[in-house]
Amino acid sequence: MAPPMARCPRLPPPNRTRQPGRGGAGPWAPREAAAGSRAARRGRAGERGAGRRSGARRTMATEAAAAPGRARRGAPMYSQKELTSKKRDEFEDILEERRLSSDLRYAMKCYTPVIYKGLSPCKPNAIKSAVLQSEQVQYVIKQLAKEMGESPDIIQEEATEILDEMGHRMQLGAVRFFAFTLSKIFKQLFQRVCVNEEGMQRLQHAIQEHPVVLLPSHRSYVDFLMLSYLLYTYDLALPVIAAGIDFLGMKIVGELLRRAGAFFMRRSFGGNRLYWAVFAEYVKTMLRSGYAPIEFFLEGTRSRTAKTLTPKFGLLSIVMEPFFKREVFDTYLVPISISYERILEESLYAYELLGVPKPKESTSGLLKARRILSDNFGTIHIYVGQPVSLRTLASGRINRCPYNLVPRHLPQKPSEDIQEFVSDVAYKMELLQIENMVLSPWVLVAAVLLQNLPAMEFELLIEKTLWLKGLTQTFGGFIEWPDNLCAKKAVLSGLTLHSNIASLVDGHVVLNDKGMEDGAVGEMVFRHALAVLMCATYRNQLLNVFVRPALVAIALQMAPSFRKEEVYSCFNFLRDVFSDEFIFFPGISLKDFEEGCFLLTKCDAIQTSQQEIYPTDKGSGTVSFLSAMFRPFVEGYQLIFRYLSKEMKEAFTEKQFIPGVRNFVFQLLEKGSTQCYEALSSDMQKNALSALVQLGAVKKKKMPSGFTYNVNQEAVSKILDMFDDSADAIPEHNEFLFPEYEILIEPEEPEFPADSTDDEQGAEDTSKGAKEQEELGAAGTADEAFQSLDEETLEAMAKHETEEEKIFQMFKKQVAAEPEQIIRYCRGGEEGPLWVSGENRPEEKDIPNCVCGAKRIFEFQIMPQLLNHLQVDSLGESIDWGTLVVYTCADSCGGGSEYLEEFIWKQDYSMGCTL
Amino acid sequence: LVNCFPKPYNRKAFWICSMLILSLMFFFPLRQELLKWNGWGYNDSKFIFNKKGQAEFTGKRYRLGGMVLPTFKEWIEKTFGASLEHKTTSRASLNVNDVPPSIVNEEFLQDLRATKISYSQDAEDRVFRAHGHCLHEIFVLREGMFKRIPDIVVWPVCHEDVVKIVELACKHNLCIIPFGGGTSVSSALECPEEEKRTIVSLDTSQMNRILWIDEKNLTACVEAGIVGQDLEKQLAESGFCTGHEPDSMEFSSLGGWVATRASGMKKNIYGNIEDLVIHIKMVTPRGIVEKNCQVPRMSTGPDIHHFIMGSEGTLGVVTEVTIKIRPVPEYQKYGSVVFPNFERGVACLREVAKILRALFASICLFLLFAKGHALKPQVASIFTSFLDGLKKFYITKFKGFDPNILCVATLLFEGDREKVLQHEKQVYDIATKFGGLAAGEDNGQRGYMLTFVIAYLRDLGLDYYVIGESFETSVPWDRVLDLCRNVKERIVRECKEKGVQFAPLSTCRVTQTYDAGACVYFYFAFNYRGISDPIHVYEQIERAAREEILANGGSLSHHHGVGKLRKRWMKESISDVGLGMLRSVKEYVDPNNIFGNKNLL
Repeated sequence: MAPPMARCPRLPPPNRTRQPGRGGAGPWAPREAAAGSRAARRGRAGERGAGRRSGARRTMATEAAAAPGRARRGAPMYSQKELTSKKRDEFEDILEERRLSSDLRYAMKCYTPVIYKGLSPCKPNAIKSAVLQSEQVQYVIKQLAKEMGESPDIIQEEATEILDEMGHRMQLGAVRFFAFTLSKIFKQLFQRVCVNEEGMQRLQHAIQEHPVVLLPSHRSYVDFLMLSYLLYTYDLALPVIAAGIDFLGMKIVGELLRRAGAFFMRRSFGGNRLYWAVFAEYVKTMLRSGYAPIEFFLEGTRSRTAKTLTPKFGLLSIVMEPFFKREVFDTYLVPISISYERILEESLYAYELLGVPKPKESTSGLLKARRILSDNFGTIHIYVGQPVSLRTLASGRINRCPYNLVPRHLPQKPSEDIQEFVSDVAYKMELLQIENMVLSPWVLVAAVLLQNLPAMEFELLIEKTLWLKGLTQTFGGFIEWPDNLCAKKAVLSGLTLHSNIASLVDGHVVLNDKGMEDGAVGEMVFRHALAVLMCATYRNQLLNVFVRPALVAIALQMAPSFRKEEVYSCFNFLRDVFSDEFIFFPGISLKDFEEGCFLLTKCDAIQTSQQEIYPTDKGSGTVSFLSAMFRPFVEGYQLIFRYLSKEMKEAFTEKQFIPGVRNFVFQLLEKGSTQCYEALSSDMQKNALSALVQLGAVKKKKMPSGFTYNVNQEAVSKILDMFDDSADAIPEHNEFLFPEYEILIEPEEPEFPADSTDDEQGAEDTSKGAKEQEELGAAGTADEAFQSLDEETLEAMAKHETEEEKIFQMFKKQVAAEPEQIIRYCRGGEEGPLWVSGENRPEEKDIPNCVCGAKRIFEFQIMPQLLNHLQVDSLGESIDWGTLVVYTCADSCGGGSEYLEEFIWKQDYSMGCTL
Repeated sequence: LVNCFPKPYNRKAFWICSMLILSLMFFFPLRQELLKWNGWGYNDSKFIFNKKGQAEFTGKRYRLGGMVLPTFKEWIEKTFGASLEHKTTSRASLNVNDVPPSIVNEEFLQDLRATKISYSQDAEDRVFRAHGHCLHEIFVLREGMFKRIPDIVVWPVCHEDVVKIVELACKHNLCIIPFGGGTSVSSALECPEEEKRTIVSLDTSQMNRILWIDEKNLTACVEAGIVGQDLEKQLAESGFCTGHEPDSMEFSSLGGWVATRASGMKKNIYGNIEDLVIHIKMVTPRGIVEKNCQVPRMSTGPDIHHFIMGSEGTLGVVTEVTIKIRPVPEYQKYGSVVFPNFERGVACLREVAKILRALFASICLFLLFAKGHALKPQVASIFTSFLDGLKKFYITKFKGFDPNILCVATLLFEGDREKVLQHEKQVYDIATKFGGLAAGEDNGQRGYMLTFVIAYLRDLGLDYYVIGESFETSVPWDRVLDLCRNVKERIVRECKEKGVQFAPLSTCRVTQTYDAGACVYFYFAFNYRGISDPIHVYEQIERAAREEILANGGSLSHHHGVGKLRKRWMKESISDVGLGMLRSVKEYVDPNNIFGNKNLL
């Protein structure tokens, strides 16, 4: 493993506003930082406007940018080019202007957007007919006609219907309507809508140059029209947006969305070839002609947990295909991170996760939702990332042959390396979204609060929050601390905004879970779960930034020793188990591990040497904080796995699984035997199940009615074991090395006070120096051993030849007194070794003299207990012995450091001896 | 009659041989001296800027000769940012001291003298045969010297001479590199630097006779060293032609065409070289390879001609070729069509190729204003006014029409008059459907004239810090447009990335049409002022462009061949097994690698 430091892109810039060492580990360091930023704020008093902030905040952003890793993560795919350009942009509030001028004038403004340079303008209907006439669609129509024996006209008709259902009808009128109403609504709901203007400028260039695909994160319905609103504001070509067909259920709104550029796709159409062909061609036609930027959500659906969902590949592979076939020179993929200080649907999500169904999209539902207009939802941050050139990503990765040997209009199943590439790109884009996702102070507060339930002292909360801020920045999190507010105000304003989740009572912060004071236990649990899940939604925004170092921290606690391989193997296990829960770039486990280690080293939580990773004293706080942060997941997964291994004997469907596991967890919560409320989240339950499917512990089968699952009990319990007693688990990957232990030296009899040097010494018996030191103590031990033997024993010893059983009894007795004993040391002791049996004991002549001519005398014996510790105790398979007795030269000849040949006698329990 | 033919032929050959040997001093250098030593074509033909600062094409060999090109200077300045004040100085003549010494075994020289085959170890002769016409080769001639050149040049005058030379080479373990017209653009003539053996350049230029013409079967047996224009001239005396007209036909040889799988612009009627050849005789280290009869087609396993055609001098020397001939066409007519843009033009060409197939001689499409306009000669004022009128016409007729993307197709019809006129009408009808407009005969002829003159342009560019090159590919019809757009864009992008200060010229033309696709030429040139190693930069860009071509479903080469320049992509192009097949042929035919020019494989 290369030392991670070597690849750190550059050093953090000189830090002006902060005291040196602010990133240091302790939770108490940030006080100074707070003072510093306060000072900086005073210095800039009077400077106004959201955009032109400088000083401390800029430094903060740069410092965060200098954090390593994020840029390195893509290393398997990307050159180092990216390493240099990691400075985050300033935000600009677009609502500010709206509050100052007329919305109507804004909606009716002269709109002459920047468009693709190669665009030949056309109407939405022209696109539709082009799609219908395209070779691709015509080919599938002919194929289907042949197969089903129907006339192509009928199928053509069907295709037209599909297209009519799907296609957008973008009209400037509708756009203006939305521009007007959205302005009104946004101003009502949100304090600010902040955009990085540089990102918009980059986007403007990109749109002119090549077809553009916009890939925003998806946390709320607001995302849908947010980008259109934004592009309208900045005079850029409006995107066409892939929306779920459910929106069409909304009467007028569906049609309005259609006119604003939304096109509708069915949720699942894997089997319908005609639909697939028409849909794919529709998207590709728009892309090829550069008609409009294409916008869709990689996550496929709104993330109910505010954690980035694992990507869906279907649409992405469609938009990438024109490039693979070289129908376009290049395609830009633009990751866009939209983060909400307070998510509009927060409580809906929590209910949904707990199994209260999601209301169907309907216009009346929307109208009912009007009341939220009176609420305050804080700030939205939109970060438009650097457009990523698909050509650059693909260079050297794609085998062009498959596309050259088949006519381009034939539907072609993507080859494996294409699929892998698409998946890599999808993850890359999501990681870029995560990287630029703005974290509000409240996110930090939520993370701290969740670890300190039920109540937390306000002052302590502030302190901890500030400490966490430093840690987050070290890890590369993008924190937007409003106006360099002092910590107290920031926390307070977060509490005000989220008064539905938590509140300040008597100097303590508590969750609002007291809906009905004296409800039934079940009701209490539900209320509390609701509050926890809502709060978790905010903490979750941190997780993908923290996951790599945190999993290293957890692995450190799980691993039986601090050896790198063992920690890594635990890390790898966790990464596999949580592969659906968090976003990891596929196949670079080692890199993730190195990055995690690097970040932990950077915040002084761990130290690494060539072979070992160990926590520092200073960093114990960080390590335990990190593992506590992810504990709900570790525990939740254990609960779910336990449920699966115990309760699910037969095949089941997801529909059966979710309520089942929910009840299981619910009962445990009611009994109070677990505190893991998050295990109630259906999101976690689904992820855990699919993780098991990927690990091969659950078989997923496709049935006509849907998917069914079969649990492999054994495999699941094995995974559970990994969690439970990981402390003495053997790393599976290492077949050659025994686990490491420390050998403690103690005199055999407890009533004698131990020698002080022995107490502290933990030397291994292999080193010569240690051996010399031990001799003093060892002599004593022999004496003591001698005195401890009573007459009976001596007698038994005298008659050992005949009374076989007695010798073993004595061995047993001795062992029972010291069950952990692995070596008995007594050089030259008169008592000699403790034999397992009367047979096969060496006589004097059996022990050869040393090469120097001196006699060999007994030095120490190795007890069979060692076999247990080495975990080579399976009968008949592994090595075995009764005892091993080592005789060494009485003169201690050969004082050098070279190895000397000594004599060892192996006695088995019953069988003959071997040398 | 056929049986007794060889005898008088041999006697005649002997007589000619002796004549040639006698007049060696006067004869051989003749052709070499007509040609530039460090550029394309004839010494007397080149672009210059005259005293008034106007561009002029010198010499009387071409129709353009002596004409002044008033717009050319402005065009070159505008396109490349080149300026007449910034001129590079090329060496006026070869510095003999720089030339690597000739190392030839004395025993071999004795054996060679015994055969009476003329040879030379003169530096100029050797350098002349050490290169083709790739940009980097010309650049080296102007500014440096090759590391390895042939040690000796031999001039066989007949098939038997070649047999003797190959035998001697086998005996003394020498390396032979056959040399025909020297117009290679694939680094095929470059001597491998690591070659330790004596390199013999086998110049076929003295094997240039038509051995016989068979009017009944319409075939002619020709020695492989004959140059294209001589072949046509001599056949024309008997009222025949081959119809094979590659752009380099003034200089390239029949043997070279065979060795590279050449293609001529009138291939629609006459076919490419593989369609024209009836019989090939080749001398290899294993012996002579040929067929037993001269028939239009035979089914005797894989055609051994196809091992020879495209072998690029790695297997042996082609000495005699029997080629199809046709009576000289009764009527020839040029034509041209202007299209509003390249897309329409390509669509039209595709349609014409589909409907008319082999009924017209040639159609060729290029962007008018990239080149044609600049070469507009003063005298052709009728054309000028026509063009201006045309522009007006288009602007009024097509809304939003952009004269800068106007493109023109040149046409050539051959055959009997009636048919020609009929086909011409058909083509124009199709063109009209695609928005094309007939633009006159003169214009068409000018287009064809240009194809011969274009190659001279590079030498002018080199004088003013502009380097450029053309390369070609073949591509299925449905990918033509995407390929052209992507390759041009890639070139522009690569130039930017590689630090080229001025926007490059990057344009293309469709020169051949087939049923299944087309041949596309790319022209690429840039001003290299401010770049320390322009050739390296150029090569990187060309390589990127070739990568792009392959990624877009284009071929490695349509007719230029692979040589050493494109070897790296051979495996990808013909698969591992395919390459192995070629290798095993090479191993059998030439186990000691006598023909060690290292091309192709």
